[in-house]
Amino acid sequence: MARAVTPQRKALNTAIAAIVGALIFFPIFWTVLTSFKTEAQAIADPPVWFAFDWTLENYTAVNQRSDYLLHFWNSVVISVGSTLLGLVIAVPAAWAMAFVPGRRTKDILMWMLSTKMLPSVGVLVPIYLLFRQLGLLDTRTGLVIVLTLINLPIIIWMLYTYFREIPGEILEAARMDGANLREEVVHVLLPMAVPGMASTVLLNIILAWNEAFWTLNLTAAKAAPLTAFIASYSSPEGLFYAKLSAASTMAIAPILIMGWFSQKQLVRGLTFGAVK
Amino acid sequence: MATTHARAAARLMISPSVILLLGWMLIPLCMTLYFSVLRYNLLMPGDTPFAGIENYQYFLTDPAFTTALINTLVLVVGVLVVTIVGGTLLALLLDQPMWASGIWRILVIAPFFVMPTVSALVWKNMFMNPVNGLFAHLFKALGLAPFDFLAQAPLLSIIGIVSWQWLPFATLILLTAMQSLDSEQIEAAEMDGAGALSRFRYITIPHLGRAATVVILIETIFLLSVFAEILVTTNGGPGNASTNLTYLIYAESLLRFDVGVGSAGGVVAIILANIVAIFLMRAIGKNLDA
Amino acid sequence: MGHISLNKVRKAFGDVEVIPPLDLQINDGEFVVFVGPSGCGKSTLLRLIAGLEDVSSGEIEIDGRPSAELPPAKRGLAMVFQSYALYPHMSVRKNIAFPMKMAGVSAEEQERRIAAAASALNLTDYLDRKPGQLSGGQRQRVAIGRAIVREPAAFLFDEPLSNLDAALRVGMRLEISELHKRLATTMIYVTHDQVEAMTMADKIVVLRAGRIEQVGAPLELYENPRNLFVAGFIGSPRMNFIEGPEAAHHNAHTMGIRPEHIDVSATQGQWQGRIGVAEHLGSDTYFHVHDTGLAETITVRASGEVALRHGDTVFLTPQADKIHRFNNEGLKQ
Repeated sequence: MARAVTPQRKALNTAIAAIVGALIFFPIFWTVLTSFKTEAQAIADPPVWFAFDWTLENYTAVNQRSDYLLHFWNSVVISVGSTLLGLVIAVPAAWAMAFVPGRRTKDILMWMLSTKMLPSVGVLVPIYLLFRQLGLLDTRTGLVIVLTLINLPIIIWMLYTYFREIPGEILEAARMDGANLREEVVHVLLPMAVPGMASTVLLNIILAWNEAFWTLNLTAAKAAPLTAFIASYSSPEGLFYAKLSAASTMAIAPILIMGWFSQKQLVRGLTFGAVK
Repeated sequence: MATTHARAAARLMISPSVILLLGWMLIPLCMTLYFSVLRYNLLMPGDTPFAGIENYQYFLTDPAFTTALINTLVLVVGVLVVTIVGGTLLALLLDQPMWASGIWRILVIAPFFVMPTVSALVWKNMFMNPVNGLFAHLFKALGLAPFDFLAQAPLLSIIGIVSWQWLPFATLILLTAMQSLDSEQIEAAEMDGAGALSRFRYITIPHLGRAATVVILIETIFLLSVFAEILVTTNGGPGNASTNLTYLIYAESLLRFDVGVGSAGGVVAIILANIVAIFLMRAIGKNLDA
Repeated sequence: MGHISLNKVRKAFGDVEVIPPLDLQINDGEFVVFVGPSGCGKSTLLRLIAGLEDVSSGEIEIDGRPSAELPPAKRGLAMVFQSYALYPHMSVRKNIAFPMKMAGVSAEEQERRIAAAASALNLTDYLDRKPGQLSGGQRQRVAIGRAIVREPAAFLFDEPLSNLDAALRVGMRLEISELHKRLATTMIYVTHDQVEAMTMADKIVVLRAGRIEQVGAPLELYENPRNLFVAGFIGSPRMNFIEGPEAAHHNAHTMGIRPEHIDVSATQGQWQGRIGVAEHLGSDTYFHVHDTGLAETITVRASGEVALRHGDTVFLTPQADKIHRFNNEGLKQ
């Protein structure tokens, strides 16, 4: 059992953690704060902390300059779509590997994971040309396909580790009770795996939302998600700090909020199911 | 241990994933291999004659290649060192008894949610800009000359930005591992007369080994292909000072439209990644059993 | 109905034959216990009957119907698992209803059977709880309830009591025995605990390395073990085995004598020794006797309290009609 900790010690720990946490979080905080300033105040030296004229003009300006909602919607469709599609493909595979392990199961799992190590840039040219041929360049469908494939190994791995924690006897009991394979998965396995699936889904939405190689290289305007929308602020608009901050805030807010509301699943998911 | 019926079902259920991933791997790979031996430039339509190993020769003898290779390694190793050391310290801190630990943990995790393009832009402009950046303000306030991070230390700056993004991940995994450490083990060590430092050295660190392997594996996968951060901040420059392999190949194929050379570079990148992969897979494969 | 017969059933995992061809008849209504040390293949045998593993060759007939190729659910058997294998996300009621739902039993009939099972197993007050809120014994009852409502041809139990603490184990043992008396359905029960086997079984099947060593009623096995293995496995404390001149004196390669069949005296007897550890239980006293020149230790069980202590010299006398004689192949002579 843990011993009593003196309040002084606890206060010291809390203070250090608060300072470190604030430092790490500071860039995000500063970005959000700056998004409410005027351009002049945004670059003021010494920096203005809170005593400035709070304004929403940057958000209006960003929306006028480019269609935020379109890019937001693209990000949603691409990240949620690729995650759900990946889940549909991965659940059967993870079931098979977790509950009917064979001699080669581990090799297959390792091989799947190793496809993740294939550098995207190595296949950029053919994928780009294939997509051009198939008319998939700058389409949401194209990006959903690519992101499903690049995240599939991670989804399978995570589900596999979660499924493996479920005792096989329970599935055997379902089989004895007359459940067929589909019923066994739907009525017994999936309900038991809900926390693990939630973690998997959340993590993959985040990975897909933030993916910035394929989304930058395979989109132009129409299907560009928020990653690409932000990249267009690279220069020279980037020098308009307040507007850059507003656009950045809008790009990261959905995920930040989602992450904070689902902290528990996410923490579990962030460890990729690899550490308990 | 299962019936043949179940085994047949398992094969059926695993096949879509295997087929898709096999296709995703093999089709572009074969195309890359094919393009890499052609003289193929999108700006010069017409014939794409066979070029043999010309593209490889060009790519491998380009001084930019060596630079990019070294930059890639420095970037990966640099970020790994920063995140693992920093992550261990942060995990140790967050593992202490304190009030409102959940809030501090959220603050530490937050950078992971920030997309690479945003973090690169924010760091580049609002912090590292030599005129208006916060660091410049800070330096001036301290009476120092402003430092142009991205021009004078581009690779280090990028390591800094990427480390900020990956620190939360390392911290979380190591923290989770630390919390799973059996407190009886620590107490036993204490009974055996081990001080706080020896306990950390002989009990905690070995216990974190598996978690650290996971961090290394997963971070390496992502760090080998750092792209957006470079594209947005330095465009690989100045010169090639912050060009990694991924960015170099991107520049060949999509900026100079040289599909042949770009593909040759892609093949080289794949081979190098495989060398790393084999090495890492061995380590993680062993650790997965534990 | 619940007659099960195994004909030349064989199971191999790859090159490893875990169960060599094996024949066994289980009669309707019988309580059969498979017992043996861990790794003897008893659980595998049960899983073969259940259909959770395929037989490598041979036939399993359930009520005269060839069943070796049937999927588990079609065999009309119900199983209670070692870990109970309750569905943690379903209430007790839903757990018990699950097999009926899968079989398409009508809602009223489901209710009726759940109510009957719940009252028989004292679960009526817990029907709306989740398994996680139940004690080990209650979980065990839910698992049994889930098996009962299917009205199976036979119940299969896979070490169902091994996760319970000692006191509960005795209680559940009685409950399962009573259940068998009431339902008169065939039950096949796997355990490594010979006490469970002795107290519950109509028929015990002793297994070692996938082979049947002996089949018989509990007392038959106790009184007439076919070989050294069964003699040593059945009965607690273990039978004493003595080799050498003393065994030869009794015309055997190995002689066996159970601890309870040795008379103890402080003054006279056939064998002399010195008490090592003495365990005084009140009802019985166990002596572990050394320095007899017969075997490392001779264990003796005396009824009631016997006032001998560590280090005392004792005299032992085996009851002549209770001596078991085995030949040099370990078989009963």
